[in-house]
Amino acid sequence: MRVQLASPSPASSVRQRLGAAACLLLAGSMPAAAQTPLAPGWQLETSGLFYGEQLRAKVIEPTGRLTRQFANGRALSLGLAVDAITGASPTGGLPTGQVQTTTSSSGRSSTTTADAVPTHPFQDLRYAADLGWTEPLGSLVSASTSAHFSQEKDYASIGGGLKTSVDVLNRLVTLTVGGGYNHDRVFPTGGTAVGLSPDTTPRVPGDNPKQVRTGLVGISRVVSRRWLLGATGSQTRETGYLTDPYKIISLTDPATQLPVAQVTEKRPSERLRDDVLASSVYHFEQDIFYANYRYYWDDWGVRSHTLDMKVRHDISSESWVQPHVRLYAQSPASFFVFGLTQGQPLPEFASADERLGPLRTATFGATYGFRVPGHRGEFTLRGEYMYQWLVGRPPTAIAPSTNTPGDNLRGSIAAEGDDSGGGQHLGTNIGTILIGYTVPF
Amino acid sequence: MRTRRRTFAALVLLAGIGIPGCATVHPWDRDLMAKPTMRFVPVPHEMAVDDHIYFSKEGSTGGMDAAGGGCGCN
Amino acid sequence: MLTEERDRVRIPWTIVLALLLAAVPVLAKTTKPAPVAPAFTLPGLKGDVSLGSLRGKTVLVDFWASWCGPCRQSFPWMNGLEKRYGDKGLAIVAVNLDKDREFADNFLAEVPALFTVAFDPSGKIAERYKVKAMPTTFLISADGRVLATHTGFDAKHASDFEAQIAEALPK
Repeated sequence: MRVQLASPSPASSVRQRLGAAACLLLAGSMPAAAQTPLAPGWQLETSGLFYGEQLRAKVIEPTGRLTRQFANGRALSLGLAVDAITGASPTGGLPTGQVQTTTSSSGRSSTTTADAVPTHPFQDLRYAADLGWTEPLGSLVSASTSAHFSQEKDYASIGGGLKTSVDVLNRLVTLTVGGGYNHDRVFPTGGTAVGLSPDTTPRVPGDNPKQVRTGLVGISRVVSRRWLLGATGSQTRETGYLTDPYKIISLTDPATQLPVAQVTEKRPSERLRDDVLASSVYHFEQDIFYANYRYYWDDWGVRSHTLDMKVRHDISSESWVQPHVRLYAQSPASFFVFGLTQGQPLPEFASADERLGPLRTATFGATYGFRVPGHRGEFTLRGEYMYQWLVGRPPTAIAPSTNTPGDNLRGSIAAEGDDSGGGQHLGTNIGTILIGYTVPF
Repeated sequence: MRTRRRTFAALVLLAGIGIPGCATVHPWDRDLMAKPTMRFVPVPHEMAVDDHIYFSKEGSTGGMDAAGGGCGCN
Repeated sequence: MLTEERDRVRIPWTIVLALLLAAVPVLAKTTKPAPVAPAFTLPGLKGDVSLGSLRGKTVLVDFWASWCGPCRQSFPWMNGLEKRYGDKGLAIVAVNLDKDREFADNFLAEVPALFTVAFDPSGKIAERYKVKAMPTTFLISADGRVLATHTGFDAKHASDFEAQIAEALPK
């Protein structure tokens, strides 16, 4: 059966997220507070990310960061990144046991194979730049400010942040306070869809603004000669256009359970997010063990746990290896739906975006770092693989899938995390390769 | 309501890290802490990339790491 | 709705302020100098180094370690002091606090010292001197009393310290 489903213009919703993720506050690449005075000089860090999702998005992202450390503890940092992304992004529609054909508003059609999550293709280029300045205020206090900017075809973001750190208790404890503000604009190609309406509804031209305000407090402590502990709490308030302009929700026929129509999604125009992060760094005889746990919650109903662990092992004085495991579990937004039933009254808010759903991810990887003798620069090479799956998807009229290689592994991972029968594998496992080079001069 | 209690509980937990303990760490025992790998983020350029990836694939925002540790000099 | 929102914003910031105030104790940057400099006998590069044997000279006791950045910056300055005042009654003893002697040796191979170096890997003497930061330099008079304590090293304030040292030299 061929189902004609009009789809929004091809563009990346993944990209919006990447745009919004530009650091509000200075990232770890800036020198740590008043604690360890660094030698004056320049440092260049470059990296190249190769990111691929199975059958979907492929991103190539080169980045560069130049830092100048001055003798009095001041530092200037400039970062640049370019993203070239091509691929396909899930629409939010339901997979069925049959082939589906999607036609975009520009007339291009793409075919979704039986049982696969419907996607649409896109291509985009994004530029991002950030500038940071650190100024010590006395010997125990340090302040940093940052500004950043990013631009792509359908999203622009500009923002700044401020962070202050104070060393207390004989420099054993460091307190940090920071805040940031971001102003984003979303201007989807073809105009903005009206929420929760069939996508034949005419689109509204123009910009959709979004403001993001963040505050954070942090404390860290040298517990013993070997152990550093830290905790951070942050709160973010987002207001404005928070809906994904390219996602849709399938309307299923109550009798056959097959998707027969679709509507655009709609999210509230405010979001209050909170999180607490506990970090530990422990130096064993030779190896260093890093562990982070983060608990996140927001007023959309999303709650998540993240556990991230790494071990740094020196192979020699010139090389090291750092294996990494990250586990993530998320409970869905209150308005998350897998699909809606045709004929039922539409809810006030709804989204079928898997990123707001009952999502689990598991990432495994390792970094290898080495220096070339006689040269001051350090190279890093990292490979990572991330499994993703949704749990608790209600059964629909999907014909049992034909066995493709890897199905057994996916099936068992999905089954483990699942309580209500039928784990839904997204087919979006992600592989990344990151190469890096850092050199002082 | 629950959000407010959770935020309060979270902040109290944070404060717990700052309470002076019985064992102090002498300035000359900061040799390991002085190493550049004894930071919350050992490979800085990885963190920015990771934030992008996880933010774009998951529903949560990243927690920011606090400054701290180090050799405690000056 | 409005009240809830205001409360949400009010409470976290009150706690933040309380935290900051509670966690900042009053600690002077420079420690109170002990009137009499504690005596010590420590192994050096060529035989033992004892403070008692330097009675009659103005002594600069500097606590340092190989992993301490400012210490690296202070060595050229101390070498300068040794050249300028070494024959005018100034003795410099740089007490190393590395746990592993090898690290100290590597450091000294890169940054040679013209002055006396002693080794205190267990930190016992540093504890007796109540060292609060790295590096810490004690200016000790010819009759064994601590005249001044300087924590940290800063090239900007080094010339002030040098003037203080010149003042304290035995006439």
